[in-house]
Amino acid sequence: MISIVTGIIGLLVAIVIIVLMRKDSLHAQHGLGWIIVALGFALLGFSPEIVDAVAKYLGIAYPPVLALTLGIAILVVKILLMDIDRSRIEVRNQRLVQRVAMLEADLKKLNKSLNPQSNKESSNNDDQHS
Amino acid sequence: MATDGYKGLSRPATVILIPAFNEGDIIAEVIRSIHAACNYPILVIDDASTDNTIIQAEQAGASVIPLPAQLGAWGATQTGLRYAMRQGYEYAISMDADGQHEADSIADLVKPVAEGVADVSIGACTRRGSALRKFAWILMKQASGLALEDITSGFRVYNRKAIRQLAGWRATLLDYQDIGVLLLLQSKGLRIVDVEVAMLPRINGKSRVFHSWLMVVYYMCHTLMLGLSKRRLARRYQTPQAAH
Repeated sequence: MISIVTGIIGLLVAIVIIVLMRKDSLHAQHGLGWIIVALGFALLGFSPEIVDAVAKYLGIAYPPVLALTLGIAILVVKILLMDIDRSRIEVRNQRLVQRVAMLEADLKKLNKSLNPQSNKESSNNDDQHS
Repeated sequence: MATDGYKGLSRPATVILIPAFNEGDIIAEVIRSIHAACNYPILVIDDASTDNTIIQAEQAGASVIPLPAQLGAWGATQTGLRYAMRQGYEYAISMDADGQHEADSIADLVKPVAEGVADVSIGACTRRGSALRKFAWILMKQASGLALEDITSGFRVYNRKAIRQLAGWRATLLDYQDIGVLLLLQSKGLRIVDVEVAMLPRINGKSRVFHSWLMVVYYMCHTLMLGLSKRRLARRYQTPQAAH
């Protein structure tokens, strides 16, 4: 019974991922990895004997330990990859913020040289701290 | 890179960078004191202040780069360095906005960089600070292998080579201007020297790091980890720096 439940959960997750991709809520690049995980989950759910066979081959006395260890290892790798990706995005974001600020300073300087009278009005920062 | 649209205009070779966050009460006085001591253009990088820092700085005669989101002291300083790079400045002087750094010391600080003895000079004031700050310095020096006196000082002069390195992507990954920045500079073979300067107590506000224990613990863990992770790199490049 538990194997059927696990298999169904796997299939449901796969369906949810496809729906999210259809609604453009999940980038296809991330969706692909998750589909593979969900289908693997479903496969192992419907055929738990695969884990038993691999565990026996590796000499692991209690097969669920193999499934859990692999699951945790995959999660750790995934989280690490996410943090690496986040660092990249943070750098990109920070450099964009810096670029916007520099361009704003240039624009202000240009406005000042073209129209010295409007200098005081333009010193009010309308959209900062967003 | 230096396509700033202002080619042909003569401009001073040096710019003063002041990262500022909510320093509206004091920034104008700081700018005026610098103007009294030297005639370098002053660039205030406003780190998304919620007070009137921008207006005060502009009225005191500084140019302002208004960051649309808060990036922290190093993020703001790097913005200034990127701007200095784009505008073709030869030297950039970074100073704090809280009135701690004396404009009269600028000449002493610029000297080793202008004479080509060093690529970066750091205004060091080892007398300042609490026992906590001094303990932090010792730990940082041990962890990073840096042989500098005042690792946390924001009073620095950078030449064009240093500006180019610090304007790049790798420097954007850093959160603070101390160990990470100095190790990056050393790894590129740049020479860094300490110059003993006097520092005043902060006229306004307090340190953005050394004001709460929790912040200090986070800062120290972060900085020590960075120092230790890059230590070998620092050692490898320490010999040419020590020779000067």
